[in-house]
Parts: sequence; C-alpha cells; structure tokens
Amino acid sequence: MNFKKAFVIYKKEMLELFRDKRTLFTTIILPVILYPLLFAGFGAIMTRQADVLEKRGATVAFQDSLTFRTPETLAIRDSIYEDLTKIEHFQIIPAPPTLNLLYQEGDIDAIVTIKDSLNVNQEPVFLVTIRYDGSGEKGLMVYHKLESSLLNTSQKISAQRLQALDIDQQIIKPMEIMPLDTSTTEKKMGNILGTILPYLMILLLITGASVVAADLVAGEKERQTLETLLVSSVSRSEIVLGKYLTIVTMAMVNVIINLVSISFSIQYLLSQSGLDMQGIQMPINSFLILLLAMIPLATLFAAILLSISTFSRNMKEARTYEQPIIIIAMLMGMISFLPTVEMNNVLALVPVINVALLFKVVLIGNYQLSHLLLTIGSTLVLDVIAIWITVKLFNTESVLFRTQEEGGKIKIKNKRTFFSPFYGIVYFCLALAALYYLGGKWQAANLVNGLIQSELIIILFPVLILLRLGKYKPAEILRLKKPKAKELAIIPFMAISASMIVSIIAQVINHFFPFPQEYIEAMSRIFTQDISFWEMFIVIALLPGICEEILFRGFLMRFFEQKNFWYPIFVTAILFALFHLDPFRFLPVLLLGILLGYITRRTGSIVNSMFFHIINNTLALVITTFSEQNWMRVFIQDGENLKYWLTIPAILIFILSLTIFNKITILEEV
Amino acid sequence: MIKVQSLVKEFIQKDGTSFRAVDEVTFDASHNEIVCLLGVNGAGKTTTMRVLSTIFEPNSGKAEVEGYDVVAEADKVRENVGFLSGDTGLYQRLTPREFMTYFGRLYAVPEGMIERRIREMSEILDMDEFLDKKIEFLSSGMKQKVSIARSIIHNPPVMIFDEPTIGLDILTARNIVSFIRECRNQGKCVLFSTHIMREAERLADRIVMIHRGKVLKQGTLEAMREETKLQDLDDIFIYYINQANGELKVVANEF
Repeated sequence: MNFKKAFVIYKKEMLELFRDKRTLFTTIILPVILYPLLFAGFGAIMTRQADVLEKRGATVAFQDSLTFRTPETLAIRDSIYEDLTKIEHFQIIPAPPTLNLLYQEGDIDAIVTIKDSLNVNQEPVFLVTIRYDGSGEKGLMVYHKLESSLLNTSQKISAQRLQALDIDQQIIKPMEIMPLDTSTTEKKMGNILGTILPYLMILLLITGASVVAADLVAGEKERQTLETLLVSSVSRSEIVLGKYLTIVTMAMVNVIINLVSISFSIQYLLSQSGLDMQGIQMPINSFLILLLAMIPLATLFAAILLSISTFSRNMKEARTYEQPIIIIAMLMGMISFLPTVEMNNVLALVPVINVALLFKVVLIGNYQLSHLLLTIGSTLVLDVIAIWITVKLFNTESVLFRTQEEGGKIKIKNKRTFFSPFYGIVYFCLALAALYYLGGKWQAANLVNGLIQSELIIILFPVLILLRLGKYKPAEILRLKKPKAKELAIIPFMAISASMIVSIIAQVINHFFPFPQEYIEAMSRIFTQDISFWEMFIVIALLPGICEEILFRGFLMRFFEQKNFWYPIFVTAILFALFHLDPFRFLPVLLLGILLGYITRRTGSIVNSMFFHIINNTLALVITTFSEQNWMRVFIQDGENLKYWLTIPAILIFILSLTIFNKITILEEV
Repeated sequence: MIKVQSLVKEFIQKDGTSFRAVDEVTFDASHNEIVCLLGVNGAGKTTTMRVLSTIFEPNSGKAEVEGYDVVAEADKVRENVGFLSGDTGLYQRLTPREFMTYFGRLYAVPEGMIERRIREMSEILDMDEFLDKKIEFLSSGMKQKVSIARSIIHNPPVMIFDEPTIGLDILTARNIVSFIRECRNQGKCVLFSTHIMREAERLADRIVMIHRGKVLKQGTLEAMREETKLQDLDDIFIYYINQANGELKVVANEF
C-alpha cells in the first residue's frame, strides 16, 4: 500500500468535486443560506401568526338559560357578561335564534351558556358551559381567554360572599403552588437540540456521503474512466482508500457546515425572540465531542456506500441501491425522538443508534466516557469490515465489469418465465399485505379461527390456485416428493436441537432488548384459548408447518433458483423472517428459515422441511403447555425460559445430526 | 515484449454456466513490431488485452509483459504498459495538464519528469492551446490527443491499443494510426486489436486472427496471402474461419 498514491487519488477527487457546481451548491452554499432563511422565516411567521390570532379576536355568543331569575342571579349574570366584554378583541353578542347554525358555520367561535340550580343552602349555583372547537389554535385560544375571564368572575363573587360572612379570604387558600424549574438553560437547549439534531446530522451525513459515493466508482464506470485507472500503476486498495477518504471528507464537510449554519441561525432566532440571552450559550464543547463521534459514523457510511457504488453498474443503479440504506439509517436516527430509550452499554454497540443516543446525552451534558469509547470502537470495527468488503469487490472482475459484455458472448435472452426474482418479490409483498390487513382482522375477531383462515386462505390456497392456473405440476414445483426413511429419521434430532439453540438465542435477545409486556401478552394469548392440546397442535404446529413450507420452501424458493445453491435459501429465509412481522423474532426465524431451506434443497423434498417445521412448532407448544409439570422443570426455569446449560447438548446433537444428514443426503440437482 | 502461452479466461454467466472467452491463446510480440489481434466482435480480443493489462486474471496459461508475469508481478506489468482504448473516458472537470499530471503521479513519475513529458507531448500532438482548458469543453479530436498523451506519460516500453479507432471520425482516427506507427518507430512493442481489416492491413507487421476465443492463424500478411492464394484480407479471414469450421469452402468475391 502506497499512501502517497492514495493521497494523489484523494486530491484529484476533491479537486474534481469542488469544480462540480452541483456538489458545491448542495454541500456548501445551500446549508449556508438555507438555515438562516428557514429559521428567520419560520420565526417571523410564528410570531406573526400568534399576533394575528390575538388581534383578530373572536365572536362569542352569550346564552342566558337561567331558571331562577332573582335579582341576585341576574346580578351575577351581569357581572359575568361584563367581565366577558372586557376581553380584548372579543365581541360578545346575545345568543341569536339561529345560534347553532351560526356556530356550525363558524360565524360564532364559542358559546357561553349559563344555567343555574340551587345548592344545599338554597343558594343559586351557576353552571357555565363553554362550547368551542378544540381542534384548532384559534378555538384553544378562545377557550383559554374565556376560562380565565370566568375564573376571575368566580373569584370575585366568592370574595364578596366571604366578605359578607366576615371570613378572611386566606382561609380557603391553604396552600400555594410555585413551580421552580431547576434545569439550566443549557440543559433545556440540549434537550431540544438532542431530539432534532441527531436525526438531522445522521441524515445529512449519509445524504452528503451518498451523492459523492455514487459518483466515485459507479460514476467512473458510467463515464468509462475506471478502466484507465485500473490499468495504471496503482493498486486496488490504494484506489479504495483514496476514494473512501474523499467520501468521508465530503460527508464531514457537509455536516460541519450544516452544524455551524444551524448554530448561528439558532442564536439569531433566540436573540430575535427577546429571551434573556445571558444563560444561553451554544454548547461548543458538546459540538466538538459530537463531531468526534460523527467521524467513525461518517467512515462507516462511506465504506458501505462505496461498496454499493462499486457494485453498481451506473450511477442510477447506485442511487437506487443507496435508497434503502439511507432509509434504514434515517429510521435508526429517529431513535432520538423516543423519550424512553436511553444510552447503555449494549445500545452503544449498535451502529447509528449509538451515535443518535450519544448525541442526546452529550447535548444534555451527562455522557459517560465508556459510551463514547464503545460507540467509536464498535463503529470502527464495522467500518473495517465494510472497507474490507469494498476492497474485495474491487478485486472481483465480475463486479467491476458488470457493465461490459461478459466474455463477449452474444446473449440470447431467456424467455421470461413466471419464476423470476421480480415476480417472487411481488408475490411475497401481496401475501404479506394480505396477512397484515386480512389476517390481522380475522385474528382480532377470533384468534383460533383467524389463524386457521390465515394459513389456509392467505398462505396455502393462492399458491395452489396459481399453480393450477399456470398449468404447472404442483408436486414437481413444490417438491412434494416422498422423503427417504433415513432422512425422516434424522430430522427430529436436528429439529429439536436446532429449536433449542434458536430459542436460547431468542432468550439472549430478550435479555438485552426486553420484550414489551403487551407483546408477551399478545404472544401468549393463543395459549390461553379454551381449546384442547390437539386442537392447539393443529393450529400452531401442523397447519403452519404444511402451509408455510408450501409457500416459502415450495413456491417462493422457485423464484430465486437462477443462482447458486445458497442464494435461494438465504432469500427465502429473509422473506420468511419478514413474514412473521416481528422484529424481536427476526433473527431466530431467519436461522430456522436457512435450515429449512437447506433441508429442502439438500433432500429435494419439502416433506422433510414440513416435518422439521412441525416438530419445531410442537416443541414450543409442549414447553408452554407442560411448563408446570415436574418433569419439565429440569429443562425450563421461571415458567418459560430454557435453562442455559441446554445449549451445550443441543449444539453437540445438532452438529452430529447435521453431519449425519449431510452424509445420507446427496446434493439436489442444482 | 509480450508473451502469451495457452491463455484461458472463463467467465461465469448469469445462468451459472461458464463461458470460455479466451481459449488456449498463444502468441507473442516483440519490440519494434506492431502485432494486430484481428477478429469479429466478441472474438476474445478485449479479454486477452485485459488480461495483459492486469484487469483480468487468467484461469490458466501464462502471460508475460517485459518478462513480468501478469498475475504474480502485476505492479511491474502496469508500470511497463501503456493502455488505450477507443471508448476510454476522461475526467471532464480536469484540464489536460491536470489529467496527465494525475496519471504521471499514479505511475510514480518524478514531478520534473512529468512536466517535461507534458511539454514534449504537447509539442508533438499540438496540444498547447488547450492544455489548460477543462476537458469537458474540448472537441473529440482534442480529447483523443489527451488520451494518447495520458497512455504514454510514463514512457512505457509496451503499448496496448484496444480497438483504438472505434467510434472516431476519420481525422481523429488518423491521429491514432500515426501515433501507433510512431510508437513502433521509437522501438516500442505494440499490440493493437481491431475488427476492421483495412486497419490491420495497413498497420500490422504481423496478424493474429482470433475467432471464438481461439487463435485461427498467425503470421505476416504476405505469408497468409501466399498460403491462401488470396489478396484481400477479408477473403483470407473468411478462408481461415471456414477452414477452422472444417468446411474448406472459400467464399470469395461473394459481394
């Protein structure tokens, strides 16, 4: 590795980028003018709006529905009315006959109605209703003004009455509540910034990096300059390093310029708002720590985006592939909006989320060094992996030259069959939508019936109908082949051991990210249904085992079989995990999905994976049903968790049974 | 000099099968010589040249440039090869001077040397007036000159031209043709590929005919004419293809 050459590439890329007017505009000029305009404009509009609202005032109808019209009640009524008329910009009118119509049409903003009755002492008590529209700013403003005016009148009257009885007013005021806010202005500021800034910064970082990244490799492919670079006397890792540094620099420049612009704009906004500026300082130290924490994140984004750019044929493709990454990063950055999620040592290991949370604590001013170090350290590890992948990609001819004719052979385009990845994904999305909307509705109405309906109507029948319509042979497409006896014999061992391992993985996940209580209740709702074990077996194990295998390992797998042995297995496993619509179980289901796919492709029979699936689900059922039995206490503790010592025998049995399985099965035709 | 021995390059296709783009190709080229790889589109010319310029690694066989192995000593090979193809792109936002300096530095040419080379080439190729204009504003002929200058900035002993005139107008193509001759006259070893028979006829000292990844025939044009008793290179080429196909049917003067 010659760093000098990497630096030559870096310098040239920076020079080119700064000569590009678009890059210059989006990274530098736009943020410099955007925030001041945005903040100043927004501030002005806000104050104006509030002003206009106050000045515009309101029309309030005053409705007199008194029954006891004594001189006393009439006096009170008049004093209420009089106080109401004193509200600035308010017009109080006597209730006209078309009151309701006028109110509905918005000509009247609120209606104050006074009724009366007698209390135990035979004194008139007033009941005042305020009818208002609470959905808008104006309605609320009107309500608050009316309320404070009425309270004022009420206090005046009670003061008069107390005086009449010769009682000191202080007697009915046993205590006074005085709020004393101890938070410093810096902390308040930090809190506000802490919720918005992380999200904004992460967004800026990744969008800044993505624009540059797409251009650097995919762009060179598109403009046919990459070949020249590759034949010149520079190694692939030097190219990667040079380009990678360029992306990191541009992403950081983007973030720094935005940060500076935002902080100046906020200061301007605060000074305009007429607040006491003494205590409010922009947390400069915090900003520096944040920038430090942003660097590893910038490098991680740069490495990921660079590998995408390297993989893509042209810039358009690179931008398309970048989209999901940007969306995921954005969603992870949004974690700072959640008030309950706080930084801890585990979350400090999760990329993007850790930086978002670190932002929050740093801006409030109480961060731990260990969190900072864990965040930087874990991000750097991922970073190295991503760079390694990029260098790998750069050394893969087929990736680098995906644009050119591969080997120059004249390609005869295959007739487009139904079983192409595109249609597979489309079918999956439709099924997922159906499950989410229809299945959810059915299960809410009746859980057991809903589950049966979902499995049959959404998962199984459409597949069979489609195969029928397409005149395919279901047995052949779905691999409904008679399995060998020895295969069926070994599968229970694999299934039970694998299920245990996966359950323990799920337990570990639960340990770090505890499931919410509602989630546990929802999940265990099925076990509290009043049905027998065998009915439960059908609903939970048998039907899902058959129907889901037909959909995933049978049907969907066929859409992805153009590539190598593992590709369809991984894709269907991912789809299978997504299908469970459950982030907590994603990893466990994914692992099972891979194993199920492997069994299917290895033996060529879906019956084997059905068998595996049924055993797996039955095991969960048995554990829950018999958890109170003495003999089960050996394996489980606190009601549902498997004991951790089970991991060792489970892994041993799994490895052993998998080895035997591999021996007795031959690879299915690929 | 270039030495290629039983070179094989395979690609994995989308359907998973492998395809032999270069199949046991053997030839060589020495200094003071222009060797032409002649073949129709998709014959395997570009793949062969990409192996020689270290972009692709061969599956088997051997390829050497100036005695350096293209796999084991790829760095050395790159230093000794100048590569130019007809559809090479340029960095639009750089000036020709910056562009050449960039590649000069990548080839680790000393700074003073880079400046001298730029001056020399600017004179030869008549590039003075646009040396400091951004490439995006140059005409295609000017761009081609910049590409030529770039390919030779490090003064390599071996030049590889992959379909150098493809997509160029006559005037620009003539720049290239004379540049190729100039390279040989300077004693360089020149390998160029084309599917245009006229070009091969005019330029090549020796011709290596490639068809479907295999070498059909190689030798001087004179030797081929003598063997086939045909004058036109088009006819000679078809003659050898038919011979390879096992049908000794000479399709001459068909048009």
